[in-house]
Amino acid sequence: MRHRFGSRILALSLAAVTLTAPLAAHHSFAMFDNSRSVTLHGKVNYYQWTNPHAYLQIQADDGKGGNKAYTLEMTSPNMLHRGGWSSRTVKPGDQVTAVMSPLRDGQPGGLLLVLTLPNGKEMLPGVPNAQRYKITS
Amino acid sequence: MTRLALALGVSLVSLAAPALGHPDFTGAWERYPPPGEKADPRYAPSVIPDPDLKPQYRAEWERGQAILKKRLEEGQPAGDNYVHCIPDGMPAMMMGMFPMEIFQRPEQINITQEAFNQTRRVYMDQKLPKWDEVDPSFYGASVGHWEGDTLVLETTGIKDDVRFRWTPHSEAMKITERLRLLAPDILQDQITVTDDYLEKPWTYSYSFRKMKDYKLQEYICTDNREYVDDKGNQRLRIDTPPAAP
Repeated sequence: MRHRFGSRILALSLAAVTLTAPLAAHHSFAMFDNSRSVTLHGKVNYYQWTNPHAYLQIQADDGKGGNKAYTLEMTSPNMLHRGGWSSRTVKPGDQVTAVMSPLRDGQPGGLLLVLTLPNGKEMLPGVPNAQRYKITS
Repeated sequence: MTRLALALGVSLVSLAAPALGHPDFTGAWERYPPPGEKADPRYAPSVIPDPDLKPQYRAEWERGQAILKKRLEEGQPAGDNYVHCIPDGMPAMMMGMFPMEIFQRPEQINITQEAFNQTRRVYMDQKLPKWDEVDPSFYGASVGHWEGDTLVLETTGIKDDVRFRWTPHSEAMKITERLRLLAPDILQDQITVTDDYLEKPWTYSYSFRKMKDYKLQEYICTDNREYVDDKGNQRLRIDTPPAAP
């Protein structure tokens, strides 16, 4: 398992190298807790292809017996497109697994780090400096 | 007969050459070197020095830089244009946040930056208006001419709150750029900012690499959910799921 995380982190940092804009990202990501991750399994409520960021909302198990809508921030559509995503990569109702860096303020949401599609394909959203976000879940 | 053929050949060559034999910068370009790639020293961009501001403007700049540095250490945004989905304007736009496209005609050159769909329009072989003949804007008024293989662009009329690296400037600021190919796929933009606010011109350069077959994408902010709260922290506005159909 450790090995798998290692290779995933490497893949993320490679994606960051390929996809990120030249400067420090125009948005800081300080609002996300990069020291840990949370893995969500659930159904897509919506996938919003907008600037300055795309969003994915997942109705997922909240770990307390209920379920909750989690709002996940992604990078911008142009960066996602260069990384192999499109506006149709996921659709409402899709059963997905998402790894996120959670919001520090406790709201149900975070920064999307990895998305596993219904067909099992893992997609990386090209987070700038992705190597700084630990995957612990 | 040979002479006729030769003459025809010559005129065909000159017809085919872009813009009267000037180099053609048309196409998509990305900032060079891209992240994670080491620059070939022949094509590396310059370091961007601090602007040499006159003392009466330097204090304001230093205050701003201290804030920027602190924000960076805290991992918080500086609260600059991008957080509010406002474009760079000139000269910041030329840093090449995302790919840019140059569209070159003999009488006009447009440069579009993918971030925020920013477009500057440069009119060739026209006189640069005086700064006070221009309504200040993000991209100002720009004219261009060729000096050999170098495209020289002059820009003035930039709004005083459109700033690069938080550098104060007057509305009379003039930006002169010299664009030339360092290699068939490497473009250099040497930028010189002159202004009464500066002790001496502020000069730096960027390099760009041609992107094969890249088509610029649309970038329009329609849902900016990030905001900076009253404590200066960046926050995200999350929302509730849409009602079931």
